[in-house]
Amino acid sequence: MDASRPSVAASRGTVTVIAVEHLTKIYGAGKHALSALADITFTVQEGQFITIVGPSGCGKSTLLQVLAGLLPPSQGRVSIDGAVLSGPCPDKIGVMFQDAWLLPWKTAIENVEFPLMLRRIPRPERRSRAMPLLHLVGLGSFAERYPDELSGGMRQRVAIARCLVQQPKVLLMDEPFAALDEQTRTRMGSELLQIWEKTGGTVVFVTHGLTEAIYLADEVFVMSARPGRIIRRLRIDLPRPRTFDMIGTDAFGRLRNEIWDLIADGHA
Amino acid sequence: MSRRLRIVRLILPMLFVGMWELAFRLELLSPIIFGSPSLIWMAAMKDGGSFLLAFRITIFEIATAAAIAWTLGIVVGAFAGSSPILARLSAPILSALISVPLVILYPVLIVWLGLGPPSKIAFGVLSGIFAIALNALVGVKGINRGYATMAAAVGAGKWQIIFKVMLPLALPAIMSGLRLGTALIVIGVVFSEMLGSTDGIGFWISYHRSLFNTGHVYLGIMLALLIAGLANLGLSLVERSYSPRIDQALPK
Repeated sequence: MDASRPSVAASRGTVTVIAVEHLTKIYGAGKHALSALADITFTVQEGQFITIVGPSGCGKSTLLQVLAGLLPPSQGRVSIDGAVLSGPCPDKIGVMFQDAWLLPWKTAIENVEFPLMLRRIPRPERRSRAMPLLHLVGLGSFAERYPDELSGGMRQRVAIARCLVQQPKVLLMDEPFAALDEQTRTRMGSELLQIWEKTGGTVVFVTHGLTEAIYLADEVFVMSARPGRIIRRLRIDLPRPRTFDMIGTDAFGRLRNEIWDLIADGHA
Repeated sequence: MSRRLRIVRLILPMLFVGMWELAFRLELLSPIIFGSPSLIWMAAMKDGGSFLLAFRITIFEIATAAAIAWTLGIVVGAFAGSSPILARLSAPILSALISVPLVILYPVLIVWLGLGPPSKIAFGVLSGIFAIALNALVGVKGINRGYATMAAAVGAGKWQIIFKVMLPLALPAIMSGLRLGTALIVIGVVFSEMLGSTDGIGFWISYHRSLFNTGHVYLGIMLALLIAGLANLGLSLVERSYSPRIDQALPK
């Protein structure tokens, strides 16, 4: 834990950062209306790492996009840090997608600086804020590389740094490692945990990988098939820092089976 | 490019000019029909600079038409390309407009705008704008929506998304539209000057043709070629200033 941020650990689990009330999302209208999310209510406390799992097509990505302010809710509301969300909120929320969406004509460091450039922050300050983050994600020596010279995992690291440069309170991640191979995915997961432990903040992480969901989370939200509802919140009491050998333990296996049964039931 | 190739490139035109002049001297070619390098040179000397005035007018008309057609074409094309419905509506219209022989409109343009530069500029704009707009449309339409979503999530406003993300991503397609469109503008302006006007290189060519001043006609043709060359050079400069972007934005 970074010594300069003792307050994160102290406040962890006491302050509500995300409040979702009776959230419903319906796509289209009339006969073709598709109900994606049905009456979802939950809160997330500051500093928590939440993962969301559910059968494919259950609306977990939709939920994340609504939390990010990228999609308006049909009914209900989302509050971030006490303020009702009405659109993208880059000062409080960082969003990661399955793809890094790095701008191909910008170098790695310029991509990390992109959110600051949009706010017209002068170049020297941009650089001095972005560079440490590129080091944090292990790409200090790749600053001047273009995206097509980086591997898929490296591109997602740049995307993580691009999120962190905005110093968001909340990090929303929509299957960010799903397109990576299994080895890289596992490594990225544990590196994400290390980064999270250093920087604090609240993370909501959507995935369809149950192992990943348990390994990362303080709490796993299990969603039902469409229209998506949260059918169970499971506390993961495995000690931190998490290690790979925990994945083989009985406790881990029991959690995995429990979630698997819930998803299978939700599907039926 | 190798040194040898460069020398060949230099020698070939010189060889061509020399053979042309030789054929004229040996009376193998009719000077009325084919002119000759020495006739062109004499025309330039005798003319007293009126071709330079005509040249300046044409350059002005082309530059104005290009500025209008580039701006409007890119803006309209990018706007249409940013919405799937608009794109589907306007793409067929644009490609139909490209194949319409616009010269049928020219008499109307003269009635509206007179014989001076405005009608030439208008015709130049019409000649080039549809190709530019269609390419911009296709370029913007082909961009994955994910980039826009990412940009919105990191705080880009609507205009920032367009100018900082979408247009640079569409740049390769836009550039090929500008190349095609600018060539069409040069053709349109010079051609409209030949059809009905009081000035410009096109007018100068057709005026001297009617007097059988073959040297002058060929001088005018040379100048028209020079204009096309200048337009191409200007585009290459624009392209080069963006080339790192274009290279990096090309799909691998």
